[in-house]
Amino acid sequence: MDMDEDLPASEPCPTFTNLASFTGPSASPSSYAGPEVEVRALASMATALYPLARAEGLRGLAAVLEKGNAGNGVAEYCYGCAAELLRDEDEDIRLVAVRLAGICVEKIAMREELSGDADQIDLIFLQLSSMARDMCAKVRIEAFNALAKMQRVSDGVLLQSLSKKMIKTDTGSATGKKISPKLVFPCAAGIFAHGIEDEFYQVRAAACKALGELAKFSNQYAQKALDLLMDMMNDDTEAVRLQTLRTLLDMATYGHLSVQEKHMHMFLGILMDANVIVRNAARKILGLVKLPKLQMFKSALDGLIAGLEKDPEDQEIYGVLFSIGKNHGSFSANIAKHLAKEISMASDGELILDKPRIKALLIVSILAPCSVDKEKELDIPAVIFSHAIPLLGTISCALGEDTQDSLLSHLFHRCGLPFWGKRLVSSDGKDSECFSVETADGTHAQIGKTAMSTNCLDEVVIMQSARLILETVQGAWAMRKSCIIGEVQSTLRTCKEEVNILAVNSSGSAYGFLSFVSDYIDAVQLIVEMWRFVQSENSYAFGSTSQDILLEKFDTSVRRMKCCYVGLHRELEVQVLELALLAILFRLSELAICSELVLDKLHWITNHLDGLCADGSYELSDFSQEVKKSFDANCIDCNPAVNICSFLEIFDLKPATNFGMVNARSAVLKVCDTDTDTENPLSCVRGLPVGVSFDVSLQNIACHDRIWLRMIAGESIQHVFLDLSCFGGDDKVKSCSTVIPFYATPMACSFVLRACLVIECPFGSICDHQEGHGGPRDCVVQLCDELDVYFVSADMSKGGG
Amino acid sequence: MAIECLVLGAGQEVGKSCVVVTIGGKRIMFDCGMHMGHHDCQRYPDFARILSATPGATDFTSAISCVVITHFHLDHIGALPYFTEVCGYNGPVYMTYPTKALAPLMLEDYRKVMVDHRGEEEQYSYEDIQRCMKKVIPVDLKQTIQVDRDLVIRAYYAGHVLGAAMIYAKVGDAAMVYTGDYNMTPDRHLGAAQIDRLKLDLLITESTYAKTVRDSKHAREREFLKAVHKCVSGGGKVLIPAFALGRAQELCILLDDYWERMNLKIPIYFSAGLTIQANMYYKMLIGWTSQKIKDSYTVHNPFDFKHVCHFERSFINDPGPCVLFATPGMISGGFSLEVFKRWAPSEKNLVTLPGYCVAGTIGHKLMSGKPTKIDLDKDTHVDVRCQIHQLSFSPHTDSKGIMDLTEFLSPSHVILVHGEKPQMAFLKDRIESELGMPCYYPANNETVSIPTTHYLKINATEKFITSCTAAQARDGLEKANLLCGNHLSGVDGDVKADEGILLMEKSMAPKILCEDELLQLLGTERHSVQFESLLSSRVEEVQTTIVDDVVSEF
Repeated sequence: MDMDEDLPASEPCPTFTNLASFTGPSASPSSYAGPEVEVRALASMATALYPLARAEGLRGLAAVLEKGNAGNGVAEYCYGCAAELLRDEDEDIRLVAVRLAGICVEKIAMREELSGDADQIDLIFLQLSSMARDMCAKVRIEAFNALAKMQRVSDGVLLQSLSKKMIKTDTGSATGKKISPKLVFPCAAGIFAHGIEDEFYQVRAAACKALGELAKFSNQYAQKALDLLMDMMNDDTEAVRLQTLRTLLDMATYGHLSVQEKHMHMFLGILMDANVIVRNAARKILGLVKLPKLQMFKSALDGLIAGLEKDPEDQEIYGVLFSIGKNHGSFSANIAKHLAKEISMASDGELILDKPRIKALLIVSILAPCSVDKEKELDIPAVIFSHAIPLLGTISCALGEDTQDSLLSHLFHRCGLPFWGKRLVSSDGKDSECFSVETADGTHAQIGKTAMSTNCLDEVVIMQSARLILETVQGAWAMRKSCIIGEVQSTLRTCKEEVNILAVNSSGSAYGFLSFVSDYIDAVQLIVEMWRFVQSENSYAFGSTSQDILLEKFDTSVRRMKCCYVGLHRELEVQVLELALLAILFRLSELAICSELVLDKLHWITNHLDGLCADGSYELSDFSQEVKKSFDANCIDCNPAVNICSFLEIFDLKPATNFGMVNARSAVLKVCDTDTDTENPLSCVRGLPVGVSFDVSLQNIACHDRIWLRMIAGESIQHVFLDLSCFGGDDKVKSCSTVIPFYATPMACSFVLRACLVIECPFGSICDHQEGHGGPRDCVVQLCDELDVYFVSADMSKGGG
Repeated sequence: MAIECLVLGAGQEVGKSCVVVTIGGKRIMFDCGMHMGHHDCQRYPDFARILSATPGATDFTSAISCVVITHFHLDHIGALPYFTEVCGYNGPVYMTYPTKALAPLMLEDYRKVMVDHRGEEEQYSYEDIQRCMKKVIPVDLKQTIQVDRDLVIRAYYAGHVLGAAMIYAKVGDAAMVYTGDYNMTPDRHLGAAQIDRLKLDLLITESTYAKTVRDSKHAREREFLKAVHKCVSGGGKVLIPAFALGRAQELCILLDDYWERMNLKIPIYFSAGLTIQANMYYKMLIGWTSQKIKDSYTVHNPFDFKHVCHFERSFINDPGPCVLFATPGMISGGFSLEVFKRWAPSEKNLVTLPGYCVAGTIGHKLMSGKPTKIDLDKDTHVDVRCQIHQLSFSPHTDSKGIMDLTEFLSPSHVILVHGEKPQMAFLKDRIESELGMPCYYPANNETVSIPTTHYLKINATEKFITSCTAAQARDGLEKANLLCGNHLSGVDGDVKADEGILLMEKSMAPKILCEDELLQLLGTERHSVQFESLLSSRVEEVQTTIVDDVVSEF
């Protein structure tokens, strides 16, 4: 309760935020009661008499919850507090209460295991729904945002939220399950029908977003929601129309968009919209959905062709046509047949390939054999493919850059012509030919398609293409035995490039994830290279140094993966640890001596892996089991002969299914105020310490991370520990400007100070370095690029001036 | 204390809304409307009942503290000039700024129709209307008005029509809301009703659509646009008969927007001067429209319709497509009838009827089935070959909206007015069963009395407070201990009880105090009474059995 007095009247909220951040790391496992006491105190404040105190209490609870260190039941308890105040007279309190409820919902939903009965979830959904009819627009927005986070809501309740009319529950037609009487909230019915008609466009957009999020969980709901969304395309605010498109795109990406005939007129309408963004999004959606009828397929094609005729330069349409054709194998085969007839009927010169229609139809047709329904042997006349060859430039341009070869080979192959491309020459085995046609084409087309959509800031699509890339990486890894290493390496390089292309346009969590994937591919590339060394008979020919360099690089990239990302899913964490294990094995095999330190690390990792897999959700891979076995059997002092080859044989990259919300830890280091470069150096006095003022901003760094500033001038290195408690800002971004002295200025007229922020990368409590030298205890990873600070001796600069 | 609610009009019917509410000795008249269906003395509310219900009052000015008008529709304001100028009420009259601006237009228009067209006896003159409007005090939204020392009123946004308001009234601790007509879903030019969560004893709400649940407006708009677009692209003319205020503006915004998006160049016309005048008012009263219009008017005033062109009467014979808004609605006569006569015979043309049409008008005939011929009088017939499109746009909230508002406000009692009896009975049952609030729907001239809450301010002695907080702190500590064991869910019962004595003396503020303080105050010693249970037993009985009995007692 003592914090009530400490509460500054003017701006109490940051106090709680800080408070929460302080208690988080300082609470050792034994005294973990911290947050609970805090929650308790804040909850009692939330029932206070004065509205401002109630609001602050709720805000405090939200801050505690957002720290994420809430134990079991805290989220439920906080939800209870929020639910009490949902009906408060003060609209500000209602707003905060709904916001808190939203955070609680998120926490509850994040838990993997099903906790609490389904009725509880439904009750929460309905309570939040009834807030979506509040008189205050902000409360409504917040309520819809909270609803978007709900999961595992029962179908009946979901469907009721779409219809203002009470759905009769006793017939049980909708779900077969009755809604229990306590779950009848008259005003929770049809909130989405109300939401999309709301006066405030922000509410409409939020409602639309929530519709899309909830549509992921129920097909029946998604269908009904689509009917509502159709009307939203006529909304008079552009922001709402765009949100609608985004929702539709999401639904299409997740495969929940089942377009029916009654919806087609709307899609065709927005294909001709005056706004180019709207048109593009509409096309993208069409490229993703599966149309059930040939008639609809044809009308969609006509719509696209009309767009092409209006603006023949629009390259994106080709990409969409390409994927539409691929998604509807039999329909495009049908188109191809008609087209072939048309081609054969036409006398020379009459059929002009330049006509947008013919171009479009050709593009649709060529990928029909690669379509999703492979069981049916689709018979595409060869004449189509031969006519498509001149269009190669257009197509590959629309799809991305390096697809031309594979596409050409595909076309030649289908025409029955010999293809002299390097790919076919280099790969004589049947296996690899199959690879180049299937995976290269397929994934490149996919990646090409998704790369285009990054402009739309669509994280979902990025995630999906990242998934595809990862699958390709794993495929390549699996091929390392059967195929030429060069092939594998080139595939990996392509993957890396794709990731980099994707990363250019992304931000936030998607960026974090992509940079993780990039590191991951780096590591795999390095393993492959080392594998090559190990395999080759005359490894000494390369010299041990190059292997050393590889190993060091590998170590660094593993360390980066381990330390520079937060929010990795457990599955990924396991994979990273396995890579770390591999790094240690390499180290052991190379040294051929068993340093105790290295062994300690190895044991630490195996224990950690055990811990991660202890609850049975993941199985320990063969590789880790093997490592564990061989090192458990050997006692520490005897020297285990590490046969890296055998370990590499069984090492396997498993395709990850869950990624989690990956955020990259990063930092920006700048010299305050001035732009220092070679032209404008800072001045100092030879041999005397000099103070440099730095602007430091850290992203996604927790308070317990140990951050150092490393300064190098010539030979001398100085590490300065940064006390994070001096930093302002929240958990996401911390920043601070500080003056840091550099002691060892060299006795030179001018010098360059290379400054860099590094983070300690701890292996449990195992220390690499001896104590007492003042630097980091452990290996470090760079958080940013090195910053060059130029100095010139003061007397020199005077002399020069 | 109680709230007395006398329903003078719109009880179990629609028309002549007038409710007189007495709170703590203050008498407020909400709305003063006329019934359009009657042409005799039933047209106006029975004002004499106010006097008979007020013993000691000789005139209306002393009987009534104030009159509040919610919006400018005639069934809410039609009797006001009669009440002030003929009955002689001289007290304050409150209405919102737009209502004050638009009401004289409506009243004068109706007076003209009554006197000039129907040749009826004049109930009030043009001067009466002007004198009456001089007595009006305009109010703004959420502006709290101290009518007199005890009575406070405040207006909230109601949607429905421009300037419509819901009225909150409070005397002492008793508070109530009279909704007037309202709309819970926004339309193209007006927002949805908006009100704070208030502690209310009584809510008087309209219930025009007590049973209807309307589906999405989007579909209806889409159909309307589709029909109009199809007609004009086929070279036809579209006639939209509408009243000058409200519907015409809404539909025109819709069309103007669509014209812009579809890049159509076909002219849209407004027929009458009144509509032009009304558009001017709408342009001025932007603050009372919906959020979207408020957002956009700095760039472009949406009532400056881009595609609306100047109109002249001769245009109706011109060839080529166009869209025309003509007054009056329902094609009850005037210019809209004239245009209808010209346009109806061509099958290319379209007549769109927005909303309700009264029986007997041509609009009603068109809506009930598809006639091929309409007789205007004995000699005139019109061949109807044009298409008819009916729109069901309504500025009233539906049943869901009434329930939502009632649930949001959570009053202790609900009274339904302005609706049809069977539907009101249905809604009353819903409110009572689903929301658990007592609900009434009195007929005209009935009175409902409702008990009110009375809050008592109590002083607490210092000692009592200290003892309470001490107990709470102890409680809190125990709970904190429980929490450490992660048993948060176990301690959700957060009710803290403390014991004290409530002392209410005459002429002194009530006070709550501790037990021992009472003794001090009364100046007496503590008496203690002890009870002891007695066992009757006979001495003769054997000692051991007694012992056994005693043991078994406990």
